[in-house]
Amino acid sequence: MSTAISVAALGELIAGWIGQGKLVAAPVQVGDRLLYQALSSAAAAVFDARRRPANSIKEFLFPRHEQIFRYRLEGKEIALSDVVPEEREQIVIAAKPCDAAALPILDRVFNWDCEDSFYTARRARTTVVTLACAAHDDACFCTSVGSGPADESGSDAMLFDRGDGQFEVKAITEKGRALFGVSSAEADDGTLKRAPQTKFDPARVARYLEANFESPLWKDLTLACLGCGACAYTCPTCHCFDIVDEGNAAGGARVKNWDSCQFPFFTLHASGHNPRSAQPQRQRQRLFHKFSIYPAKFGSTLCTGCGNCERNCPVGLGVLKVLQAIDGEARRLDEKEPVQA
Amino acid sequence: MTERLRQTARRLLEEGNVQVVIGYGASGPVFITRPEDADKLEWNDRCFANLTVYLTRKEVKALGKAALVVKGCDERALVVLEKESQIDRAALYVIGMACDGLGAAKCVECQTHVPRFADEVIGTQAEPPAPRCAPEPNGLDRLMAKSPAERWAFWTAEFARCVKCYACRQVCPLCYCERCIADKNRPVAIDTSATPKGNFAWHITRAFHLAARCIGCGECTRACPAGIPLGLLNQALAQATEENFGYRPGMDREAEPVFGAWSPADKEDFIG
Repeated sequence: MSTAISVAALGELIAGWIGQGKLVAAPVQVGDRLLYQALSSAAAAVFDARRRPANSIKEFLFPRHEQIFRYRLEGKEIALSDVVPEEREQIVIAAKPCDAAALPILDRVFNWDCEDSFYTARRARTTVVTLACAAHDDACFCTSVGSGPADESGSDAMLFDRGDGQFEVKAITEKGRALFGVSSAEADDGTLKRAPQTKFDPARVARYLEANFESPLWKDLTLACLGCGACAYTCPTCHCFDIVDEGNAAGGARVKNWDSCQFPFFTLHASGHNPRSAQPQRQRQRLFHKFSIYPAKFGSTLCTGCGNCERNCPVGLGVLKVLQAIDGEARRLDEKEPVQA
Repeated sequence: MTERLRQTARRLLEEGNVQVVIGYGASGPVFITRPEDADKLEWNDRCFANLTVYLTRKEVKALGKAALVVKGCDERALVVLEKESQIDRAALYVIGMACDGLGAAKCVECQTHVPRFADEVIGTQAEPPAPRCAPEPNGLDRLMAKSPAERWAFWTAEFARCVKCYACRQVCPLCYCERCIADKNRPVAIDTSATPKGNFAWHITRAFHLAARCIGCGECTRACPAGIPLGLLNQALAQATEENFGYRPGMDREAEPVFGAWSPADKEDFIG
């Protein structure tokens, strides 16, 4: 039995979910950009297997800003109050597999030593429906980090564009089955044929990083970086945050805001010393975290190969170009001195 | 033009006049320090970035005396930076590229296709060249035709997408403060939160700090990952500056900047 569903039927489903009070997010056309946004109406959702939104779905689990608790100053006393957690169910639909694949990566970070209850609560009430990719661009490199255009990691259900206005549905988890009720077993018809070629070897890159913390390559490759957070803030896996108090003499809130290792003040010590005082050091940190530190701790890269860093970089830098140059250098060194098996 | 640019860069580096040539490469800005690398320089429709931003970066300054590739629009930033004592123009070699517009919307209304103060200009270009595309869809006139309430609604919706990545600040050649007011935390001047309050505070402050200084290169709009047309705020202030003071930043090397000069003949009565 075919389990195909039309765009119109998907729209009806979305309208139903919105009607039930759920938050539904999907790619939306905003000016010349495709951006994941919460939908106010089903019609705004864009089901395009050939284009990638400029932001990521992490926003819906790890928002750019959230309150942790509130405080009130009463004389010499400080009264604290919890923030009431939002309990609305969320559905992210037509997400890219490289966005969904970031969620198991983030799960580990937000739960490895203590549980981030804000993140885990949102995660538990979020269902992710991906749309397998039917195209890639020069910035895409999912296959270089062990992912792919139909990677099911982090997806509760996956849609496959048949090209005739119909989508095959593949339920992956119970949450996904609950949304659609049906599932097609053989949905992956040739999506992999459209995958980007492998562009570097992450194991070889990790080996090079371990041995080359100090290298002139860092400056040569990253001097153009202007030190903004466009890469980190549109990255599905970057998860750094800052905690600040915002309020006035009467009270306020302790809040958690996105932060980026590319900002000079990210590592500024109270003493005035800054261990990462130059931009190439900050770029090196970002790459080390993604391709050496996180893999050593959790066994996978902190990167899904989505390419957003390069697409959003005002100077066209991104992770891929630096890694390709490092991989080339590492290969050259390996040929000179083969790695002992 | 690309070949002439490479020849110039090679010559400058060989003669030892400069230690680095800052220009455009195949996929972004490049810093050429050896004559044999001059072939990495490119000149094409992707040369958007305003490279004058690098002149105030300490990592780039450390490379030594620079030659800089500029378009006519970018060059206006050099005039302002010089007026504000941020660069030593005599210690800089400016390679100007005559530009017919890069096929970008912002280039349609450009009035400086040929750099005017460069040490050397490569190429020629009639002013103005035939437009290659339609002007900005969200042009300033369209925005100013709206009522204040509509403009408020417009910016509320636009700023709602801001994630505070500060790409707008980092690409701006005139946002060179070592410690931006947005980074001050003892005490906090602007909420770091990407909330309506924090975002309005940031964008209005950014625009005000660039009033009568912004040269209209449009890099802030181009860099914004959320697609917010930030340059419109600056354009509105530039228009007010021109109407009230007859001043366009970076157009005239002799003109006194509006902030940074005063006159007893000022029409406001608080002067003198």
